[in-house]
Amino acid sequence: MGVPGRKVAVVGMGGVFPGCENLGAFNEKMFTGKSLIREWPAAAVYHKQIRSVVSGYITEEESGLEAIYPTSLSDYPETYIDHRGRVPDINLSTADLGSIWAMTGSLESIKMAGWTNAETESEQTGVVVASGGGGNVISRHAWHAFFEMGKKSRIAGSHTVDRTMSYREAANISCLIKNKGVCESIISACATGLGNIGYAYRLIKFGLQDRVIAGGVEGTALETFIGFDAMQVLSKGFSPAESSRPFDLHRNGFVCSFGAGIVALEEYEMAKARGAKIYAVIDEYFNNSDGDGNMFYPSYEGQRRLWKGLVNGVPGIKPDVVKVHGTATPVGDIIELISVADTLGDEGYHISAPKSQFGHMLGAAGSVEFIAALLMLENQQVLPCINSDTLNPELEGFQMKEGWKGSMKPAEAYRHLIPQETVTKEINQIVCLNYGFGGTNSAMAISKDN
Amino acid sequence: MERQEIVDEIIEVLRTVRTVDPSRLENVTEETDFLTDMNMPSTELINIAAKVEQKFDVEFEDDDIDSLGSTVKDVVDLIIKAKARGVS
Repeated sequence: MGVPGRKVAVVGMGGVFPGCENLGAFNEKMFTGKSLIREWPAAAVYHKQIRSVVSGYITEEESGLEAIYPTSLSDYPETYIDHRGRVPDINLSTADLGSIWAMTGSLESIKMAGWTNAETESEQTGVVVASGGGGNVISRHAWHAFFEMGKKSRIAGSHTVDRTMSYREAANISCLIKNKGVCESIISACATGLGNIGYAYRLIKFGLQDRVIAGGVEGTALETFIGFDAMQVLSKGFSPAESSRPFDLHRNGFVCSFGAGIVALEEYEMAKARGAKIYAVIDEYFNNSDGDGNMFYPSYEGQRRLWKGLVNGVPGIKPDVVKVHGTATPVGDIIELISVADTLGDEGYHISAPKSQFGHMLGAAGSVEFIAALLMLENQQVLPCINSDTLNPELEGFQMKEGWKGSMKPAEAYRHLIPQETVTKEINQIVCLNYGFGGTNSAMAISKDN
Repeated sequence: MERQEIVDEIIEVLRTVRTVDPSRLENVTEETDFLTDMNMPSTELINIAAKVEQKFDVEFEDDDIDSLGSTVKDVVDLIIKAKARGVS
């Protein structure tokens, strides 16, 4: 359990964002209502085999990297060159694209936090970072060389394991920053990003660590995209900028995107004592499961229990913004909308769905959206839910089913909660929500440091 | 193929390995040790063996890889052995 009086501050952030050179560009584009989604040439090549060709993708070049390809396996990124000189070659050799983003995001977070080398390398500094998927780009070519080309196992090199293993991002960060505390990954599908930050919060709150680098990553991988395309769950039929449409009546799926969001967390009094800028204080983290045996379908009851757990941990909770998961899938958005409104009421807060601007970053979604929430606190502005043009004036199918326990209002009744333009207002508290396959739900409340 | 030609080709392979410091490739001889003289991580040895196989268009025996030493000479010997096996 938490140590009484011990609080957790967010003191740094960094990451990699589609079409943005850095965090500043991300901040500027998001709050001016831009979409970061483009047609993806790498997907368009396969237009006869896939449904969707839009994505918030990030190329190696855009993240300051260059892939090195050996001659015999022409599409296999043997290693990378960091043209911005951030990550040494020895660390690049054990990393896939997402792990490199995790490392650069960590360096940015530590720099922003102002930690000394002694603090970073301490036994009291942990790393808790993960991605939702495997190292698909590396795996595909390694296995192709073995199974299809009949090559020796060594032909793909000796780094197939460290570049594809489930906790490769945390391992690579730890080897780079040389912390001596915890190094782990929490993996929970699309709740991964927030889940890692939540676990990191608990490590500090429970007195086990003083500082933690935490977050989620999803490296650009066509292989990952194809998996979701096969499920017929990706948005189709809109221009790239209009493809991600949370809550909109005509939404037909999410936009599969990629990115990295890393934050630096620190015990509040320690951060305060050294004069660190505090971007937010974490009030509480709560997570649970639907418990209904359904891998994919969202659960109203599960989300209401999620809220109950969060509210129990934050007496007097009164968020000014609820940053929702809001993927733009047909069912998920409105169940989530109603679970929020049935908990908080119909007035007094705004709902923000950042996926409307950059799509669904899968394992990075929760952490990049957490950074979006930090920026909302910092800017005192609510991000717009672009493309939420028309809300359904009719009831959803699930509202008319026997046994439905939630609101009997249509989505249109909540229009006032969902801004289509950036809103400037006093923001003291934000709740962040993310969910994942398997019925996993996560919620975190953060507040401005007063 | 003369041994020095093989050494020169190995050096060219080493230039493509990002974890090898280029300044350590100036005075490479057959006695140069990848691990102690080049400060190379041991995990890179197998990568170099695989790259050498491609460069010289040979395939080493797994047992020979297992018992491979860490000097340039060890790799030169292995290439000559593999080439001889390929010819016969």
